[in-house]
Order: sequence, then structure tokens, then C-alpha cells
Amino acid sequence: MTLVTRDDPGTSAGGACHVPDATSRYDVLVVGSGIGGMESALKLGDMGYKVLLVEKEASVGGKMILLSKVFPTLDCASCISTPKMAATIHHPNITALTYSQVDGIRRSADGRFHASVTRKARYVDETSCTGCALCETACTVAVPDQFNADLVARRAAYIAFPQAVPKKAVIDRAGSSPCSYACPAGIQAHGYVSLIRSGEYEKAYRLVLEATPLVGTLGRACYAPCEAECTRGSLEGTLPIRRLKRFVADAHDPDRDGSGIEVAPPNGRHVAIVGSGPTGLTAAWQLARNGYAVKIFEAAPVAGGFLRLAIPSYRLPEAVVERDIDNVRAIGVEIVTHTRINDLAALKADGFDAVLVATGTHRSTGLGVPGEDRLGVLGGTDFLRRVKLGRPMGLAGKRVVVVGGGNVAMDAARTARRLGASSVTVAYRRGRDEMPAHHVESADAEREGVEFSLQVAPLEVLGDADGAVSGLRCARMHLGEPDASGRRRPEPIPGSELVLPCELIVSAIGMTGDPGAFVRQVAADARGLLAADPVSGQTALPYVFAAGDAVHGPTDITRAVGEGRRAAHMIDRWLTGGSLDGFDDRLAVVDKAAVIARQKAFAVRAATADGTTLVTAPTDFAEVEAPMTEAEAHEAAGRCLDCAVCSECRECVAACPVDGCIDLHARDQHEEVEVGAVVVSTGFKLFAADLKPEYGFGTFKNVITGMQMDRLLAPTRPFNTILRPGDGKVPERIAYVLCTGSRDETVGNPLCSRFCCMYSIKQNQLLMGALPLADVTVHYMDIRAPGKRYDEFYEGAKSMGATYIKGRVAEITETPEGNLILHYEDIENGGAITQAEYDLVVLAVGVQPNRDAEQLFEVEELALDEWRYVDEPDEDLNPGQTSIPGVFVAGAASGAKDIADSILHAGAAVAQVAAHLETAKADAEMLDAVRKAMVPA
Amino acid sequence: MATLNRDVREVVREEPVMRARILAALDDGPMTIPEIASAIEAPAHEVVFWVMGMRRYGWLAEIKGATVDGYFQYERTGRVA
Repeated sequence: MTLVTRDDPGTSAGGACHVPDATSRYDVLVVGSGIGGMESALKLGDMGYKVLLVEKEASVGGKMILLSKVFPTLDCASCISTPKMAATIHHPNITALTYSQVDGIRRSADGRFHASVTRKARYVDETSCTGCALCETACTVAVPDQFNADLVARRAAYIAFPQAVPKKAVIDRAGSSPCSYACPAGIQAHGYVSLIRSGEYEKAYRLVLEATPLVGTLGRACYAPCEAECTRGSLEGTLPIRRLKRFVADAHDPDRDGSGIEVAPPNGRHVAIVGSGPTGLTAAWQLARNGYAVKIFEAAPVAGGFLRLAIPSYRLPEAVVERDIDNVRAIGVEIVTHTRINDLAALKADGFDAVLVATGTHRSTGLGVPGEDRLGVLGGTDFLRRVKLGRPMGLAGKRVVVVGGGNVAMDAARTARRLGASSVTVAYRRGRDEMPAHHVESADAEREGVEFSLQVAPLEVLGDADGAVSGLRCARMHLGEPDASGRRRPEPIPGSELVLPCELIVSAIGMTGDPGAFVRQVAADARGLLAADPVSGQTALPYVFAAGDAVHGPTDITRAVGEGRRAAHMIDRWLTGGSLDGFDDRLAVVDKAAVIARQKAFAVRAATADGTTLVTAPTDFAEVEAPMTEAEAHEAAGRCLDCAVCSECRECVAACPVDGCIDLHARDQHEEVEVGAVVVSTGFKLFAADLKPEYGFGTFKNVITGMQMDRLLAPTRPFNTILRPGDGKVPERIAYVLCTGSRDETVGNPLCSRFCCMYSIKQNQLLMGALPLADVTVHYMDIRAPGKRYDEFYEGAKSMGATYIKGRVAEITETPEGNLILHYEDIENGGAITQAEYDLVVLAVGVQPNRDAEQLFEVEELALDEWRYVDEPDEDLNPGQTSIPGVFVAGAASGAKDIADSILHAGAAVAQVAAHLETAKADAEMLDAVRKAMVPA
Repeated sequence: MATLNRDVREVVREEPVMRARILAALDDGPMTIPEIASAIEAPAHEVVFWVMGMRRYGWLAEIKGATVDGYFQYERTGRVA
């Protein structure tokens, strides 16, 4: 999780949790809100101390609230936990911060402590969230539910559990997904992928519309920087993210689905946009959606800029562009063609409140060699434009040389092939690896019969007596040291000239802007690029903004779209009196290595075929890439790894009945607090049962842990009843294996976990009540039931029919039906090595120290005992005291304890805290009195 | 679907993808988890994750009471989106 300091007024402040101000002081900081932490906070609060309770999960309650019942009373854990949880949250002397973490604690010279606390963004306003869980139901991302011991899925938007306090939703966001973060257009790629895998194609289409109207266009002609960053690329291959976008664009039917976007009421302001390329269209789209009256002025006979006048139809059919442009018209944007704007001030005089110049870079750069004015030399964009406008080119049987190595060069070469040229040669001064064209474009050009003459540079256009082109004289080049662009500089090889015979030369070595007549109003550089503020795009004329290639030079469609979004944002800010900033507030991109590390293994999936069909000698402009079938799209989207967890599909926002409650712009908040004492109540971890591979946990699906069984027994269980996870069958023969990971030197834990026997006995009784026909057998070393009524509880289980077999289980094996064979030594029956078959095996896992406690203190080291629990140096006489004066430990953070003992231990810690605070207070008062006595009257 | 024991996170993540297949299988009537697994050609232990996730979020529900050879049957609830 990226920690960004920003106190956003729209974030989750207030609500059920009290919010401290930046300089808050408390008497005590309690870290962790399990039963030990809650008990400590409540008792200290009752004594009148001001307590700050910090809990990393979204609810207080720790592990106890997740249990079915408690032993030996068989009281419902929820019934006895929830009043304490509610009391903790609502206590007047307790400030409880859930979904928060203590980053570090430092003790100062006066004995007090300074702590840094991060309130992680919930992305849900606690004040207005009603806990309805509609966001959770609508969410498109499924992840294992840690509150159900990974037995079932939760959603990225979730409420921790039904009895959560506070019962408020949280959206699980690990940052920005690499695909979404990489998109210059600001399209939530992860979001639409997650919608597609859920079968929500129209919603996926509408999500792209949030950024741009050019859904179909980008689905075909975008170079997909998202795919270059896809984490799945390090496995069997990237998701076909661009083609998925095309799929939803093709699936959208405007007659059936409507325009797919909401438009704000008119706000009375007018904006003129000069240029109808992707920047202008996107800006118009965004502004019109916000209620602006927008008019686009286009000099060409058709709208669309490069989309309609340069990109060949085999990559981007005109009908697709027209359909995207219809999106813009559908929300009221007026587009006038054949209209060249020469005077920006006149637009202002005509009533436009702001003007955006997005005229692109349509002017081809000349070759700069003798003879380039001959008949038969065309600029790359001029050539493509003529073809797109249907003007006859007469290339049949002619030889064509295209100079340049960019995408326009590839488009020109492949277009010439389709127009019947007998040969098409791309002449480029560097090598294939240095070509700026997208590698797919150059590879496809080659597959279509385009030849490459590499490391050659033009010297002269040769011609015949009529002035027509007859060839291109070139120099061969070799590559020297890298230049400023990082590419190796081409240098001519003396005496190495060659001639490329041809009848047409297309110069595609670059493009420049054409600021036209308004260059006198908006400054431009030598390349014709307009001068504008790099952040806001505002020009020297405050009401004129410039964006896209007209400012930055030729880029690509996604960047042009992003520029349009930025321009619309800035124009809106300027016209509404806001500061010209705030456009990009993406979360930091997630670490792809961390995403991969979430899983122990990955199943290899078939990569999606690219769907492109190419022929050596194409004769028409039919689209070369086939659409994905629904099955292909569904399957491909299903490979997504949900890198950022939340996909930003915004389904939660749409489902939430409270406007503004979900705010994906919220950010973490950092706070500094000062306290007089600290209580460490970070609890314990459960033993990872897969560290005993002989028991098969994680391999045999019907081997579960004690905590998983407690979840199955709880009223809020993940299944409809007690079922075995392997196949959903109601188990009839259930075995327990005690001391799994405790009293076991082989896993480095010689300690008894103190409550595994008792929770197993509790579950035995509950199982026999829930499944009267089931046989329950416990394999144990010895039963430890030392507490009040504990042994009676054990005897009660036996009398109910549970069988107890003394002897350590050596191994568990599995039958083809998913049953489990336990191999054990039957000590009380002669020590024979015996086998028994069960439907379901429960491993009574032991406890381990929670190492989080080690990270709390920044300067002084909190001493740990030899098993890495928090050390109590004087635990016999002063339980709860730690190695640091003023720091105390409560509950299982100092060693395994059951619930009753944790509460008792918290009581002891509380007494120690009170003694410490009162002593400190008395010392301070005495010091103050002495100081006053020393001051002369 | 190459491995028998896939990571839980991976299996759970596929619930939205598998949903349509499972709902289609249940179009003809209620099924037990082994029957669903057979219908969609997926391991039963993975189907448990998907069915229980779908049950949790209202896509399907168990037929209460009787079991078939120890297995509950699950049916569509009518939720479509």
C-alpha cells in the first residue's frame, strides 16, 4: 500500500470512529483490538484515562469474534464479543482507529512516547456508510476471505464480517494496477477487464467511455502500453487488453444500449475546440458531459483528424471512427468541418468562454535533399490523407520507396501494397532494432511483402526528363555511438552509394505542427509546435489552451486522448475559478513482483491467439484483425491477476445508495500522537499447517485447521452447513489431530499452545450436536484441561460419544474418493501402528508469536523471549511489564493464553499501566512543586 | 486448469468467470457440487469455492433439508447481474 500524505476532506473522517487531530495527546496507546486489547482499553477508559486504540483490521474484535462458541460455557462468541466491541468503539474515553497501523513508537527523555499512526484509506466514508453491503455484492473482484480462514471468497469491496464494529465497508486497494497505470489515456484497463470476465460487457464499454468516446478506435489502433505492463506477461503471456476493449466496443449497440453516458445539465458556458482528432474529441466529450456547450471546428472535410485521415482502414475502419464520433455528437457536441480557424480572438468575441487548440501535427517533414520537389514525392501524411479521402493514386505496377521508420512509414508502405504497387521498400537510416515504429507494425509490414532497406539515408531524388521520380540515391550508413535519443547515431559510409529505383517516394521521416494564422496569437517553435504551460496547457492567451500533438509533437492515440482529458479538466478548472492542477491522482503502481509473490504457484493458461490474418500481397483494405468471440474474451479476461485487488470498475460507486459515500480519491492519512504509556496487545498467529507436510494440509482438500472448523461451526459460516471443502459432502467421520505445530521440536515450537485441546473438545461437542450421526475421533498426546470446569467439559465430550485415541499421528494419506487415512501409534492398545479412515480431518494447530510486535519500536528494542513472544522480565511478580518502562503487554502477545486468561492478563497490564501513569503524574507534580518553591516570591 | 492443486487465490479469482458456466449448468435444475463439477468439467474442490462464493452473494442457494447421498443440491436464485 502506498502511503500518500494528503488529508482529503472527502475521505473517511468521523463516523463511528473518533478522529484525533494532528497533535493529539492520550494517556495510553493500545496496539491491537483483540480481547486483550479491548479489555485493556475498556478498563483504562473506565478509570478515566484517555486511550487511543489502533487496530489494523477494519473491525475491532480480533480472533475471538470469528469463533463459533467459547469453552467451557459454550456461550456464543459473537454474543459475548459484540457488546465488548461496541463498548470499545463508543466509550467516551476511547478513540478507536480501525484499518490503521502504528508505524513506529519512540520514547522521549521525559518518559512519554511519540507514535506515528497511519489511517489507511477505506475509500468509504464512515459517516455515511450504512453497512448495507451493496458495494460488496456488486464488486467484480473475488479474493480469499481471511475472516473465513480462506474457505470462501470475499470481494475487494467488503465488510469484514457480519458483526464488524464499525460495520463499515472497506475497499481493498494495493495501488494502481500496472495496466491502468500505464494507460496515458487514463482508461481503467483493469476495471473493464474485470467487468468482461463477469459478463458485464456494456458496463465495461461504459467504463471506457468515462475516459474517452473513442472506444472502438482504441480497441483497434491503440498500441496498448497496458499490455506491455501486464503482470501476466511474466507467466504465459499478457492479456489481450486492447482486443478486449474492441470486443466491448463491438458488443455495444447504441440502439439497444443507448448512449451509455450521463450528461450534466447545461452550465451556460461555451467552449470552442479547434481540431477534431483524438485530443479534441476527447476534450469535447469530457466538457460536454460536464454541461459545457462545445463546438468543434475542423479544417478537413471529415472529422477525426489522424483517425480518419491517416490510419489505414485495414487497421481502423472508417465506420468504427464514425461510430465513436457519433458518441460525441450524441451528447450535443457540434462539429463543423471545412472550417479553418484563423483567429482565436474571434472565437472569444463570438461568445466562447474558452478555446482549445488541438490541431495535431499533419504537416510532413521534407526529405531535405535535392530533387524532392519532383513529381512523385509525397509526404507520408499527405499520401495517407489522399488515400483516405478516396483520391486515385495510380500505383498499380509502380515501385514505391517509403523513407522513414515510424508508424506512418509502416502505414504508408502497407497502404501502397494494397494499392497495387509492384514493390514497396522502406528505407530507414538506422537498423530494425532502432525503428520507432511499433514492432508489430514493422513485422506485419514485412509479412505483407514490404521490403526493408536498412541503414540507408537519402541523398537525392532522381528523376527523368519530365520531372518525374525515377529513383532515390542513398548512402549506406553504419551506426556509431548513441545520440541524445539513446539510439545509435547513423553515419554515412564514404563511397557506399546505391540507388533505389522507384516511381513514388513517400517521405515519412517526421511530422510538424501547422499553427496557421493564429501563430500570431499563440507562440510556436520552429517545428510549428505551440507554446503552452506543460501542466495546464494554458497559452499566453489565458482563455486559450493547447494540447496534444500540436504542443508535444507526434505521439500516439492514447497520449492524445490523455491530453484531451487533461485539457478538459484544466479548462473546467479555469472556468470555475479553480487552480490549474489536480489532474493525475493515481495511486502508485503496485509492485509486480509482489503480485506474483501472493501465490505459491500459477496454473499455466493458454495465451490468446492474436487473431490477425495477413497475406503477402494484400489487395484490399479489409480489417486484418478478427474480433474475439465472446468465449475468447471471457476466457482471456479470466486470466487477469487483479494486481491492485480493486479493479476501479466503479461498480461499488454505482451500487452505493449514498451519493459520495465511496470516494476512490481518498488517501491514507498520517498522524502523530503523544502518549504516556503503551499497551502491546498484538495477539498471536496460528501455526501454518502446511509446515507439517506429512499431514497434507493444502494438498488434501479435506484436511482443514481448527480455525476453519470454528468458522464452519459459526452462525456466520462460509458454507450452508458443515461440509467438507473437497466436494461439499456432509462429513460422517471426523478426526482431530492435536498438537499440530505445538509441542513439536521438528517445527521449532516446543511450547504447548494451551487451548488447542479445549477448542478441539468444544468443537467435538458442537459437531455432535450439529451432525448427530457423525463419528468424532480425537488423536492426542495428552489432554490438557486444567482450568475451572475444563476437565468436566472434556468428560462431557466423551460421554456424548467422542472417541479419544492416544498416540501421535505420523502421516495422513488420501484415497481416490478424497477420504483421509490416518497412520498412528495406538499407545493405549499395545502401541500398534494403526490406520483409520475419515471423511474430514481437523488439525488442531498451535499458536505462534505475532512478529508484528517487534516492528513497533524505532529506537529502543522491545525485548522478546526465546520463542519471540514479548518478554515479561518479571512475569511472576509484575505480569504485563516489558523491557521498556511505560510499555506493557496484554494477552497472547506474551504467550499462548485462552480467552479467560487473556482477559485476566489484560487486567494485570492495566493495573501496571495505571501505576505507571500515576507515578509519572506524581513525579511531575512534585517536580513542579519544587520548581515553584525555588522561584523567589 | 492444468494443476490439481491450484493456489486458493487463483481459484477464488476465477469465480466471476465460472459463474456463467455454473448458472448455465443449473438452468436444467438443482445440482450437487459433484454434479456441477462434472457438468462444467472442473475439480469438485474448486467448484466448492465458486458455489460458496456465489451462494454468499446471492447467485444461488441450497435446497434446505434433504441431501442426496450426503450432498446438498444448489439452485439458481434469480439474480442475473
